[in-house]
Amino acid sequence: MTWWSIVVAAGLGTFLIRYLPLLSGTRLARGEGWLSRFLGALGLAAIAALIVLSMSDLWWQAPHWRGGVRLALGAAAVLLVQRLTPNVGLATLVGAGVYGAAGGFLAE
Amino acid sequence: MSDDAVAVSAWRSGRRGLRDSVSLAVGYAPIAFSFGVISVQAGLSPWQAVAISLLVFAGASQFVMVAMMAAGSGGLTVLSAVVMMNLRHLFYGPALATRLTSMPRRLAPWLAFGLTDEVFATAMAKGASRPLAPAWCLGLAAGAYLAWVGGTALGAGVGAGWASDGGYVAQALDFVLPALFLALLAQAWRRARWPVVAVAAGATLLGMVWWPGHVAMLVGMLAGAAVGSRRPRPACSEEATI
Repeated sequence: MTWWSIVVAAGLGTFLIRYLPLLSGTRLARGEGWLSRFLGALGLAAIAALIVLSMSDLWWQAPHWRGGVRLALGAAAVLLVQRLTPNVGLATLVGAGVYGAAGGFLAE
Repeated sequence: MSDDAVAVSAWRSGRRGLRDSVSLAVGYAPIAFSFGVISVQAGLSPWQAVAISLLVFAGASQFVMVAMMAAGSGGLTVLSAVVMMNLRHLFYGPALATRLTSMPRRLAPWLAFGLTDEVFATAMAKGASRPLAPAWCLGLAAGAYLAWVGGTALGAGVGAGWASDGGYVAQALDFVLPALFLALLAQAWRRARWPVVAVAAGATLLGMVWWPGHVAMLVGMLAGAAVGSRRPRPACSEEATI
């Protein structure tokens, strides 16, 4: 296989994995059964799984109590700002800022 | 509604989606930048790195793809790895469809192309409280795509000679995606849904002991959704639409 054919096939494969279920999902979305409730809960479950995955990546970069404190401070800042203002962008940026700043304060 | 009014409303929703993609784009750009840098370091030309981001648009699996190609893996091996890593996306389309006001068939391919983890998470967090306009989702995905491709181009073009100093900004950018997911969780949070979150997080954490991250995530996501399927879905306002 040439370089181009690998890239095009990877793109096509990824697209079909997303596209074909979306078409059938339109029919499933009209239902009220178990599958419909399963799909309804999938978003929240995916977000929770993504949090664990991304936070553990950061933790393993520096598995030390300082890293844990930074993660906790960043997370607390996100949740606090999100509670005060329902603005996802602002909460994200403040949380990232606090995490970055905590790196400076907690440096050895 | 007349056709003109529908078009204006769709255009407004699309612009709102693009605006709502800003936090997502801020998280994407540094990762895409790293992808550009790594691709060039792996021996690809800058335009090849950009072509991968343009055609594949699938975060983590792009990194694996470049690493495997650089290691001389065969085409079918690379493709299998990409498909396996993206299998979790099989569930995103049907889940998103449950939150859309309608599914115009001509928009479906574009919606599907942009359905990454982060776009899906953002859409489902918004969709927890109100139905989503397909044009809003398209705007959101377009913003993410532009950030992904732009970040790759920048990383591939100038990144090879740029070394991160590990300073404040670089460290802050590391936390952008976890922060985004946390903010989305807080937005979508309903007290009655805590078992979904607890089981998904716990199963992912446990799964990471045995499996790579993308497999653990798939297992955690399915376990959480299975718990959620045993309870009635929370009411979702039908009046307000974004």
